[in-house]
Amino acid sequence: MAKKITIDPITRIEGHLKIDVEVENGKVKDAWSSGTMARGFEAMLTGKDPRDAPFVTSRFCGVCYSVHQLASARALDAAFGAKVPWGGNLIRNLVMGAEYIYDHTIHFYQLSALDYIDIMAVANYTGKDKNLLDVKDKIVSLVKANDTYPLTPRYEPDEFSVKDPDIVISAVSHYIKALTMHANARNMGAIWGGRTPHYQNIVVGGVTSYPDLNQWARFRTMLDEQKKFVEEVYIPDVLAFGTGPLWPLAKMGVGGGHYNYLSYGDFPKDPERKELVFPAGVIIGLDPANIKVNPVDTKKITESVKYAWYKEKKPAHPYNGEQVFDLDKKGAYSFIKAPRYDGKAMEVGPLARMIVAKNPDVIGLIQKGAKPGAVARHAARAIETKLIVDACYNWLDQLLTEMTKPGFKIHDTEHWDPPESGIGAGFHEAPRGALGHWVKVKNKKIDNYQCVVPSTWNASPRCEGGVRGQYEESLIGVPVPDTDNPINVVRVIRSFDPCLACAIHIIDPENNEIKKFMIE
Amino acid sequence: MSEIPSASQTDSKGGETISPKKIVILGVGNLLLSDEGFGVHVANELMKLDLPQGVSVVEGGTEGFKLLNIITDADRLIVIDAVKGGGDPGSIYRFDINEVQSCPSGFKTSVHQIGILEVISLSGLIGKTPHTTVVGVEPKSLKMGMELSPEIKAKIPRIIELIFAELRNDGTDSLIVGI
Repeated sequence: MAKKITIDPITRIEGHLKIDVEVENGKVKDAWSSGTMARGFEAMLTGKDPRDAPFVTSRFCGVCYSVHQLASARALDAAFGAKVPWGGNLIRNLVMGAEYIYDHTIHFYQLSALDYIDIMAVANYTGKDKNLLDVKDKIVSLVKANDTYPLTPRYEPDEFSVKDPDIVISAVSHYIKALTMHANARNMGAIWGGRTPHYQNIVVGGVTSYPDLNQWARFRTMLDEQKKFVEEVYIPDVLAFGTGPLWPLAKMGVGGGHYNYLSYGDFPKDPERKELVFPAGVIIGLDPANIKVNPVDTKKITESVKYAWYKEKKPAHPYNGEQVFDLDKKGAYSFIKAPRYDGKAMEVGPLARMIVAKNPDVIGLIQKGAKPGAVARHAARAIETKLIVDACYNWLDQLLTEMTKPGFKIHDTEHWDPPESGIGAGFHEAPRGALGHWVKVKNKKIDNYQCVVPSTWNASPRCEGGVRGQYEESLIGVPVPDTDNPINVVRVIRSFDPCLACAIHIIDPENNEIKKFMIE
Repeated sequence: MSEIPSASQTDSKGGETISPKKIVILGVGNLLLSDEGFGVHVANELMKLDLPQGVSVVEGGTEGFKLLNIITDADRLIVIDAVKGGGDPGSIYRFDINEVQSCPSGFKTSVHQIGILEVISLSGLIGKTPHTTVVGVEPKSLKMGMELSPEIKAKIPRIIELIFAELRNDGTDSLIVGI
């Protein structure tokens, strides 16, 4: 008999996601992914000055604001005919570089690691290391004070969980170290972005403020510190876990899905865009022995609303998308639309990028027997963080050269005013994956605006023909020996780094206690 | 002023920061969901005022984790937000973080899985947790839109008064000018 389990909400992700799975004979037989919060902010942009779009879209989400700002500015660059000078591109890249370092390390330590370690094992640490004993005291005192919210809730550790107190306490000490690194990475972004959160410097045509040597030097010093953490802590941790205690999960390839991958390509290494840090490409039905990468044709992107709470409409290209809700629609179960490439459900994000790039480290792991899935996703994320760190040094060197050239430019000021009419698409490989913004300008105002965000690709519901989205497909066959403890399900989902409709920030306590603090 | 505070930074005149106590007023919320953006609107108003030395205003948007750098750098934190406490729209709440953590069934922000209050408690793991007070208002509308409801907007001057009262209690009153 199949048993249905609902996990709502999936915790330690950004946003609100519900997963239903049907379990039969200890394995997931079917799955449904539901985004349970309405989005549709795009409608607000209609009629606005297009130059507002990067700032408004940066407010869509509290987590991935800068990525929207960049994709939006790029869509406007295309619609306005603006050509961003190389200096402007370098600064845009450096802002996003800091963003990557921040996002990927936080995902591993703060959001995911707790799926793989039994944190309570720190109490059994018997070593003498003073720093680790300090960590033990901190965690034990939090547990005693019943104040472990960010570390919990959690499912019960299973046979794959790491319980060795020495390994666990070292991981927890890195968890704490990572918090300091995150705080520093925020400040790195702000060096160019002017402030944090919600950077102010990325606009149509380039960036708003010239860099100075002091900023340059500060960024570089802070980058040195991040590089050390990425190379000496983050990557070794991910590889030690992935090829050690988690190797059985890696070999099983839990969380594989459709094996279709999409990367728009991003981060030019040179002004002519001859080489990208993340190459563009599409893979349909990966064959690890013979990886076939096709070029991306964005005309093949459509969004289906067949199973989403939107007015019935044939799958449409994002230029022609709309958001008219239909909450009574039969069969609908999500506020997320279903983007498809040539009718296929795709995976986007670090694993997709690294496989499309045929990255030797990731391909090496696959050749050793790790199937593309949850564990490989963590590895790909760590490996690409290093690629970004290295690229940041390269961009800094180039920026220094540009800064000393006469007539150094960061903005195409000729194209600041909106055109009478125009259309443009802006693409960005955000930390979570392929992000696209599409804009139509009419009478110098926004006529239509659509975004297809990474988690829309990954977390989409079924489309015409009942084709499951990538989360859904990746859950099929995942072992759930105990239906009260579906830890493998959340491991798979969290490996994608979900971010959904992070729209609301209100303080909303679970009880009415707060009312007693009403003062007037 | 809205620049991020940083321990290693000197002030704009290039000298050491004189005030030993860093007070951060942090307005949070989503600007696109009408009254949800209350804290952002208050922060923007505060930025127009002259504030005592050592007091900075940060408009935090919908951030949670990404405010860690700001939170760990503050000695005293005043958070301005929309609060769903069950009162009538426009009701004003004021509480210290440690008062709500003792609530029997816990306290957490609803939608952001790791929200600002959790980040404040996480900050204790890497250093200090600032003394934190939340001043908030019960929202009326959370519909899409960049404007506050008129009756919620009307509460801004009162909220600013209450923030200044907090600052006075912190002993910075003699420095307050410009309101």
